Amino acid sequence: MSIKVGIDFGTSNSGIAVYDGNHVRLLPVDPKNVLPEVIKTVLYITREYHSYLGQEAVEAYYRDNVNRQRRFVKQWAGEIDFRGADMHYVRDIFVYVDELKPGRLLQYLKSALRKEGYSGTQVFERFYTAGDLAKTYLSLLKRRAEDVLGEPIHAATLGRPVKFSESAKQDQKAEETLRQAAHEAGFKEVDFELEPIAAALYYEQSISKPQNVVIFDFGGGTLDIAIMRLGDSRSRKVYASGGVDIAGSDFDRTIIEKRMLSHFGYGRVKHHPEILEMIHAIPDWMALPELGTPINRNILEKAIHAKIAPVRLKALEELIYNDLAFTFYNRVEAGKIALSKEGATVISLEDKNIALWEMYTRHQFESDIRHYLADVEKVLLDTLAKSGLEPGQIDAVVKTGGSSNIPLFTDMLARIFGTDKVKESNALSSVVGGLAIKAGM
Amino acid sequence: MSFTSKINEWMKEVEERPESAITIVRLVVRRLRELSERNEELLAENIDLQHGTRVEEYQKRIAHLEYQLDMLKRRFGMDPATMANLPAPMDVPSALNLLVYNSLGRIFRIELDAEKKEIGNLTGEMITDHEPPRLLAVSSNENLLLLFTSGRVETCSANDIPMMQLGGTWTWEQAALPSEPHAGEVLACVIPFSRLPLSEFFLQVSRRGFAKKTLTSMSESILENHFLGKGALHKSDQPFDMMLSRKNDVAALVTYEGKVTAFDVEDLSYTTDERIKLSVTDYVIGAFILPPATSILCVTQTGKVIHRESKSIEAAKSSTSKGQSLIPPTRLEQGVRFMGAAAVKDSDQVAILDASGRINLHDVSAMTGNGSVAAEGWILSMGLISPEGGAKRGAS
Repeated sequence: MSIKVGIDFGTSNSGIAVYDGNHVRLLPVDPKNVLPEVIKTVLYITREYHSYLGQEAVEAYYRDNVNRQRRFVKQWAGEIDFRGADMHYVRDIFVYVDELKPGRLLQYLKSALRKEGYSGTQVFERFYTAGDLAKTYLSLLKRRAEDVLGEPIHAATLGRPVKFSESAKQDQKAEETLRQAAHEAGFKEVDFELEPIAAALYYEQSISKPQNVVIFDFGGGTLDIAIMRLGDSRSRKVYASGGVDIAGSDFDRTIIEKRMLSHFGYGRVKHHPEILEMIHAIPDWMALPELGTPINRNILEKAIHAKIAPVRLKALEELIYNDLAFTFYNRVEAGKIALSKEGATVISLEDKNIALWEMYTRHQFESDIRHYLADVEKVLLDTLAKSGLEPGQIDAVVKTGGSSNIPLFTDMLARIFGTDKVKESNALSSVVGGLAIKAGM
Repeated sequence: MSFTSKINEWMKEVEERPESAITIVRLVVRRLRELSERNEELLAENIDLQHGTRVEEYQKRIAHLEYQLDMLKRRFGMDPATMANLPAPMDVPSALNLLVYNSLGRIFRIELDAEKKEIGNLTGEMITDHEPPRLLAVSSNENLLLLFTSGRVETCSANDIPMMQLGGTWTWEQAALPSEPHAGEVLACVIPFSRLPLSEFFLQVSRRGFAKKTLTSMSESILENHFLGKGALHKSDQPFDMMLSRKNDVAALVTYEGKVTAFDVEDLSYTTDERIKLSVTDYVIGAFILPPATSILCVTQTGKVIHRESKSIEAAKSSTSKGQSLIPPTRLEQGVRFMGAAAVKDSDQVAILDASGRINLHDVSAMTGNGSVAAEGWILSMGLISPEGGAKRGAS
């Protein structure tokens, strides 16, 4: 017998589940994770093209990269055509490549699908399109799920955001790329369901009478909203849906931009464009390791020698050259998550030449991300208006996704709909649970 | 943002949510405790440095060792005249063996044959932990010292390593594992150390061109504690090789990008010192004692041989020397790099391991005559075969 599963291919975390008609079973596909039913959407590809996912990928990345040896070699990258009024010549372009780099860690695979103009990335000698990355991840995920079930999986219902992109063409393209990737990963039948609707199906299991429900799915990559009539499968109805490209990863980026850059020389280094470029690259952890060239190291060393913010630039050097970017980004994310419960937290990073310590309060966090609140509120009210319902006609607001726990947004929901209507669904499993229910229908 | 404005923001959080005050105070107290502990450590270190406690500590240790040495001399009644009259040791038959080892601590032992130049063929993974296998010729009666990248040392006898058949094909699974590396470390090098009593120093060399000498008179405690030290200062650096040396020896380092430098062992301090300033992409690929009647032989990845008389290499006094260049800049630009180097005599042989896994023997005289060495793939490693100490080769 072959099985159809629900797959939540999330920006930060993914999951896979099956539904037997009565119960949803989340599959423990990442035994190394604290919650084995949740797997990080992280892929690590080694120089020998072995791929790892989830916690295993993170561990392999740390094992191979921390304190490793580097050896930069000059490699021909292409040529530039110079054309002037009376001259024309071609110049070779070389780049420094770390030939001992053991592997590449890739995150935000789903964001790559919706990024306009993103064709893919070079992983050593091979070029991976966004579809190739999704295919690699999904095929490994499928294999793990089959190991857990002991049976082959032939079909899947995949979740998708309400809008992959504001552009309809890009939105269509992203869905097609994901569909193709799933087929290539070995799923013979693939269909899609909007993530907030999946969350609604999961919530529906817990109610006994029909309700008008707002699903507020606020995850790592997007905010998705659906307004539905639930509780009776015959009268189930989607009044309206909407979404916007604002989510957890934007908040992490904002925290780094506003609070962390000063630890790496921002504000102290004024007239060194190369160094400023490195500092401004910090929020993008995937770009940061690429800056680790011998030329940049020389620039940093010279500035340190000239006593230009030496402690902070040494910390920047350590961040770039000791592959600490991933750790740093995780610390920032952990700090953000802690602020959903605590009034204050510490974001810290310690290594040989880094002693970063930043106390970060909820007040600071809320003032840093407040400008997103207006956009989120606008999308919510627009979707509500599209549904033709008034806030008073809404019976429940179901929050799901990690970012929905941020108090600033919970307060907004309470302000619009009333505190007693805001209900918390399981932030990490309601979407995948709903997708499994959809797959079983 | 100034620290005062940060504090103002914390205060705003307390005004908005008074319950946050406890968390903030707890976090600040924890930080203060960490900083005060760190401050205490720094103050203690400062006092040590100001009072010279560290120097005194080492002086005491040296005095104690000298005393122990005196005691031993008295006990055995040793003086130069008695030593000269001691009967010659029995001639224990020994054979010349080639050891092939990798960074995971796996070692093959092959008995060399005077007639046979094809030693064998390695299959499987050639590069482990970014390091190619290394080759070392030793007598079968030799004692071996294994140095790991953590600074740990272990000993074993060459005889304890099972012999592989000459000319065979081997996989690393067949190799002996006399001492398995601990977590976080790999095998840096293996050295023969039966000449320990005739040597004065352990001379360690790191990948980034740092060197450290340690008195061999401390060998008892080193072997007892299984720890010699890394001989490398930076986190990204690691030990590369080690040799036994005497006071008047000259040591040489050869790098991947073709730099060579030499220095008097006597000039080295007992701390870890940088002996060659390397570019970011460069690292040491050969470290050896340079006897006067030898020359330096270097092999590139494509098998090109570069040969220099040892007298042409001047001993550098400065620790910031960048070394002499053996690869011309144009060749360097084309990607030519050294994979191995050794101090050789014309009568020596060199074992070469190439990327296809073949290990072959080559005469130094032929290599220097041809200016190159034939190999099936890129050259990964070389080892000097210099028969010494009565080790004989088998005959086919």
